[in-house]
Amino acid sequence: MLELSPWIYAATGAVTGILGATLGLGGGIFLVPVLTLVFDIPFRTAVAASLISVIATASVASTVNLGRGLVNFRLGMTLEIATTIGGLTGGFLAALLTQRQLFSIFGLTLAGMGVVMALRSGRRNVIAGAGVEPGLLGGQLEEDHRIYVYRLRRTPLALGASLLAGSISGLLGLGGGIIKIPILTAFCGIPIKVAAATSAFMIGVTAAASAFVYYGRGDIDLALAAAIALGALPGSLAGARLGHALEARSLKLFLAVVLFMVGGQMAIKALRLP
Amino acid sequence: MKRTLGLERAVEMALSAGVATSGLLLLLGLVLAHEGVLRSGILILMLTPVVRVVVLTLGLFRDGDRRFGFVSLAVLAVLVAGIVLSRQ
Repeated sequence: MLELSPWIYAATGAVTGILGATLGLGGGIFLVPVLTLVFDIPFRTAVAASLISVIATASVASTVNLGRGLVNFRLGMTLEIATTIGGLTGGFLAALLTQRQLFSIFGLTLAGMGVVMALRSGRRNVIAGAGVEPGLLGGQLEEDHRIYVYRLRRTPLALGASLLAGSISGLLGLGGGIIKIPILTAFCGIPIKVAAATSAFMIGVTAAASAFVYYGRGDIDLALAAAIALGALPGSLAGARLGHALEARSLKLFLAVVLFMVGGQMAIKALRLP
Repeated sequence: MKRTLGLERAVEMALSAGVATSGLLLLLGLVLAHEGVLRSGILILMLTPVVRVVVLTLGLFRDGDRRFGFVSLAVLAVLVAGIVLSRQ
């Protein structure tokens, strides 16, 4: 059982849930570093707990987002084929890597995505006007009483990014929004709020694909995962509402800063490991 | 977009039901320190996204959207394959 009171872990889950859902991520991006760096929990146990919390966060955030018409179902389902395959692959692969390798991959992934996000934060991905054809996987969104249309561009890149996102999710317990959102917004023409909402809709399924692998391997510490998920439920509910109130550009910059900070911490840890 | 509204509601209900049930079991399991209750809470949570995909698949075929019905079915196939592969 747990070394500390379960409510400390529940509070941790709540805070990472708020942060995660605000940004359209599962919260694993904050949770795994906190569990491994602060609480000194083994990497795979932390990842397993994170995957469970990602499922909780994503399920809650999706119910909030669904009512707003921001989730692009068709795009989400299409990319889910790639993320779930990746999720399984990453889940199985995690058993073959050392802690040091896992920490390094974590740090590099975050720093890389921070660069993408920072460089392309000024982009607008929408075309004003209701007459534009969004295509099979595009869509439209309403903001300030105007209809904006967006189209999916570079479909193979979107699918490749999803496969990578799924693998990283299974390996690092992240859900994968951290890969998909930057790439979808920076290169594939999807507005950040749609990318974040659609990603939040997908990451529960992505995380579930890997969670079963971790469960089968006995990596899930039941009390730890339960406490964190329990905190993540109300936390993500609050975060999903908060995310809607923030401006797109500040969301992107905030995300970039967070990526650099957390990525750096994980890289330092990787260097210190034997 | 209007056509999918009923489906969105169904998906929302599936997610809420799964989250509420597992949340209750997790709380109960922690308070009672009961492993069996904790385990069922975790498993229900893990199955919630799978149920969501099932609801979406059925809804899409019911709405006559065969193309995306099959897309959804493919996602379900990957998930089921994963569950089977991890049960060793």
